[in-house]
Amino acid sequence: MIEINNVEKRFGSAEVLKRINLKVEPGEVVTILGSSGSGKSTLIRCINGLEALSGGAIRVDGHDVSTSAGLAAARRRSATVFQLFNLYPHMTVLRNVTLAPIQVLGQPRAEAEAQARALIDLVGLTEHADAYPQRLSGGQRQRVGICRALAMQPRYLLLDEVTSALDPEMTGEVLAILARLAAEGTTMVFVTHEIEFARRISDRIVFLEAGELIVDMPTEAFFSEEGGLAVPRIRKFLSKMTKD
Amino acid sequence: MRYADFTPYDLVLLAQGLGVTLGLFAATTLIGLALGAALTVLHYYRVPVIGHVVVAVTELLKNSPVLVQLFLVFFGMPAFFQVNMTPVTAALLTVSLNTAAFAFVIFRSGVEAVERDQIEAARVFGHSRWQILRRIISPQAAAFSVGPLIGLLVNQLQVTSLISVIGVADLTKIGNILNLRTLEPFVVWSVIGLTYYLCAKALAALGGRLERHLRRSVVWQGL
Repeated sequence: MIEINNVEKRFGSAEVLKRINLKVEPGEVVTILGSSGSGKSTLIRCINGLEALSGGAIRVDGHDVSTSAGLAAARRRSATVFQLFNLYPHMTVLRNVTLAPIQVLGQPRAEAEAQARALIDLVGLTEHADAYPQRLSGGQRQRVGICRALAMQPRYLLLDEVTSALDPEMTGEVLAILARLAAEGTTMVFVTHEIEFARRISDRIVFLEAGELIVDMPTEAFFSEEGGLAVPRIRKFLSKMTKD
Repeated sequence: MRYADFTPYDLVLLAQGLGVTLGLFAATTLIGLALGAALTVLHYYRVPVIGHVVVAVTELLKNSPVLVQLFLVFFGMPAFFQVNMTPVTAALLTVSLNTAAFAFVIFRSGVEAVERDQIEAARVFGHSRWQILRRIISPQAAAFSVGPLIGLLVNQLQVTSLISVIGVADLTKIGNILNLRTLEPFVVWSVIGLTYYLCAKALAALGGRLERHLRRSVVWQGL
């Protein structure tokens, strides 16, 4: 379980996260919505330890991310997929996917490569296993990013606007894979602007507004008139985001 | 024997001088690059105090003439510290440190040129700081550095000619000797100059091949 208790984050005098509370149980898909600058990505970056907390605590399966031992344990349990892929450009697709399993988990190379090839097959990149990322399209790169995360066999998948840098067609490629993972019961914390997709795959929707968590509801309730749509801010957000 | 003609033996002399120049160049390059890389690692780990000392010393080495550094090491250090200093030791020490200072700057910019995003990804996946340096930063920093590094080494090859001043029998010193004997400065210095030129060209060609190898993951897809 990921437990976020009273988390605060300040950059200088700017309060980016204000006393956030959130729990993600194993098997859940939780989508975080909110406009740009609402603190969604910062929250993900707090969970995976890229930002130090200004207050409160985050525990991943009981491991406190603000201690170095806790963070190391927490990072073994979660894996992140990034908006701009953040692949290692000097390594082939296969090496990108096997690096952490070999170096961090200590898997034997042969085993790591077999597992990586299976994942690469799964996302339809079989012929590109030995290509460098620069030769791939954005959608293909992001699929490699997903393989790299899955190769760590994480309990929690953190997805930070993974389709924001992709065109609609490539977005489709990536979302298809995420839908399959969700259906298989992968636990996900999903920061996105893809409202319709979020509605299809999420168990719960969380809405952030200027660093505050203003709504945390089951997906169905969030999109119902008496639930999320009853909140003016959310109604306005949804109508803007789904206009086109 | 004042105005003596060239003899076949002069070619042997020339080869010896070239050997000394190349040997000294190879040794100072190895020491200089190793030291420059070690300083870059120290800088990467942000070792307190030492980081600042390294930057200050390299700044001194970069911004003063190599000839002055050579005089300081060869004449100044024995006088001040009461140590023996042969010309070869002084030459090795001076040129190695000078190469190290410039290599440090090149390596450091190479490290800084690696995108932070990838380093964040590696941290999130649980890689240690050393693994990140070894697997993510170093290979890319090496590819970024090799171009400027070849430029530096071509220059340092020319710089080695300064050591002839303190009596090391390198290519330039041999040129001096042949010139004094034959009084044919135009011929002598043309040959010596051409020899440096060919060595530098060979070095640049080797470096170019190394660079293409290191940057193989970066493909030009046309403009």
